[in-house]
Amino acid sequence: MRASTLDLENAGQRLRHFYVLTKPRVNSLIVFCAVIGMFLAVPQGLPSPGVVFAATLGIAFVAGAAAAMNCLIEQRIDAQMARTRARPLPRGELSSTETLAFSLVLGGSGLGVLYAFVNALTMWLTLFTFVGYAIVYTVFLKPRTPQNIVIGGASGAMPPVLGWAAVTGEVSADALLLFLIIFAWTPPHFWALALYRTKEYAKAGLPMLPVTHGAKYTRLSVLLYTLILFGVTLLPFATRMSGWIYLVCAVILGAVFIRYAWRLYVSYSDKLSQQTFRYSIVYLSSLFAALLADHYIRFQ
Amino acid sequence: MKTLRRLAAFALLLTLVVVVFGAYVRLSDAGLGCPDWPGCYGKATPAHAAEHILDAQAIRPDGPVSLPKAWKEMIHRYLAASLGLLIVAIAVLCWRRRKEAGAGAGLALALVGVVVFQGLLGKWTVTLLLKPAIVTGHLLGGLTTLALLAWLTFRLRDMRRVASAGGLVAMARIGLILLVLQIALGGWVSTNYAALACTDFPTCHGQWMPADADFANAFHVVRELGMTADGELLSNQALTAIHWTHRLGALIVGAYLLLLALLMLRHRHSAPHGAALGAGVLLQVSLGIANVLTSLPLPLAVAHNAVAALLVLIMVLINYRLRRSTSPAWSAGREHESVYA
Repeated sequence: MRASTLDLENAGQRLRHFYVLTKPRVNSLIVFCAVIGMFLAVPQGLPSPGVVFAATLGIAFVAGAAAAMNCLIEQRIDAQMARTRARPLPRGELSSTETLAFSLVLGGSGLGVLYAFVNALTMWLTLFTFVGYAIVYTVFLKPRTPQNIVIGGASGAMPPVLGWAAVTGEVSADALLLFLIIFAWTPPHFWALALYRTKEYAKAGLPMLPVTHGAKYTRLSVLLYTLILFGVTLLPFATRMSGWIYLVCAVILGAVFIRYAWRLYVSYSDKLSQQTFRYSIVYLSSLFAALLADHYIRFQ
Repeated sequence: MKTLRRLAAFALLLTLVVVVFGAYVRLSDAGLGCPDWPGCYGKATPAHAAEHILDAQAIRPDGPVSLPKAWKEMIHRYLAASLGLLIVAIAVLCWRRRKEAGAGAGLALALVGVVVFQGLLGKWTVTLLLKPAIVTGHLLGGLTTLALLAWLTFRLRDMRRVASAGGLVAMARIGLILLVLQIALGGWVSTNYAALACTDFPTCHGQWMPADADFANAFHVVRELGMTADGELLSNQALTAIHWTHRLGALIVGAYLLLLALLMLRHRHSAPHGAALGAGVLLQVSLGIANVLTSLPLPLAVAHNAVAALLVLIMVLINYRLRRSTSPAWSAGREHESVYA
């Protein structure tokens, strides 16, 4: 009995290492946006639960695989930064081969689920997203240009489009609006984090905007992108995709975001920057929750 | 803080009452006792609407409307509304103390969201005429309220959490998910009136694996009560499939939770909870079997719901108690991060 408990604990430990590789916390927001895309795609009533389940599972698997692939590619950089040093690869808890195999099996089964139980379009779009993040962003953009996350943000903005495609089999203008919201949200979200980690990025040799262009310029960029984001989030109301409930939420949430960005611009502190970053996550999840609530309360 | 703690504990108790009373309303076919919402024929109580109710009863003596049924339904609505107000009050108090450690402001706000949605589900239960998906959702919403309130109560009381082996913690987390899935299946059985689709046990229609079960039509979520998605009458074969799936689920989830209970019994700090879990699972399975064999008497049916709610409470308590021992690998996943970082 003793040995069996030990095995259970050991297996649990290893499972947890693989689990950490998938960056579950950041991926949960991505999957959340995808699921909301699925519900928004149906004009009235609910999408087929089988499709929702399969698409969520498939997208989550591929997102997890992309995160694992990212950990694999960046293990050397991760080992240099205090923040990422404790990841399973730099600590030697998992080998590169194990990680690669895990990522391929996880991503492959995710794509398989999407192809078999959802539709081919969703599978292809999800595959492109995977390549866009794990290869184009991680390998090419990130170490080369301060515009890395602006361009690479396109892959992070895909989830609602994937959810939409899963349910309707097509990509409509409404879905692209959701894409645009996340696309505009990514720069202020990420640069808020980069501002208080500039030294680490400089040490690791990554050309993030505050490293190459300085803090002041980055803070201005955060403010400007937040204003763009505010405008973009009014579009769902303007196109009659969403109603008043959404509009009120978007304006309030956006006003708070702008206030953060403004304070960051006029009087910077690391603490404020951390708060802004944290708020950006609350902002996006609340905004998507508002889209969903608006969608169902209007059609009642 | 003391007031807040007491309020939360009281709200938790009230939630349990509302959930079980809700099941009682449903199982005694009183769910449509008042055909409108939020009032009863637009009135505050069935006494005020007695004329309409008696008229409706005179037209259809065996119909869904009668005075006793209307009272049950309205008492449930008033209890639930009081609970909603109580939760709003708790959220306000928690929000005021949001700066203090362990105030649980976020949790309390989430609770308000759940309760509002739960009110909507309650409304749709009536106005959309008992659609199985809505009614099952209403059950799950009630249990979500129960779980969140329990978590908030534990936190406000600053109850001790014990660092435990990763395997056991993961097992408890998964156990809670499995339990919720099995309860959802149970709600699906009840809301589709499939509880008596098999009247023998452990076999169904004398077979171990009912050959005629129609799984294709059993799990369409969006459809009218008693109809397939295409609007045809839901067949007995589909009901059999629903019933059978719940039994199969009971076998799997029951075995899983019993294993978890056994593992917990081996450690001093978790033994009492393990014992409670084991006892709860055995009781719940016995109640399930008894319901099948005795043709679903009302008290047993309500008890099956009540023990399900208690199992949720026990599993939430266990999940609260068993804290993951913080290892660097785990904390790496917990820091604030971005996929682009």
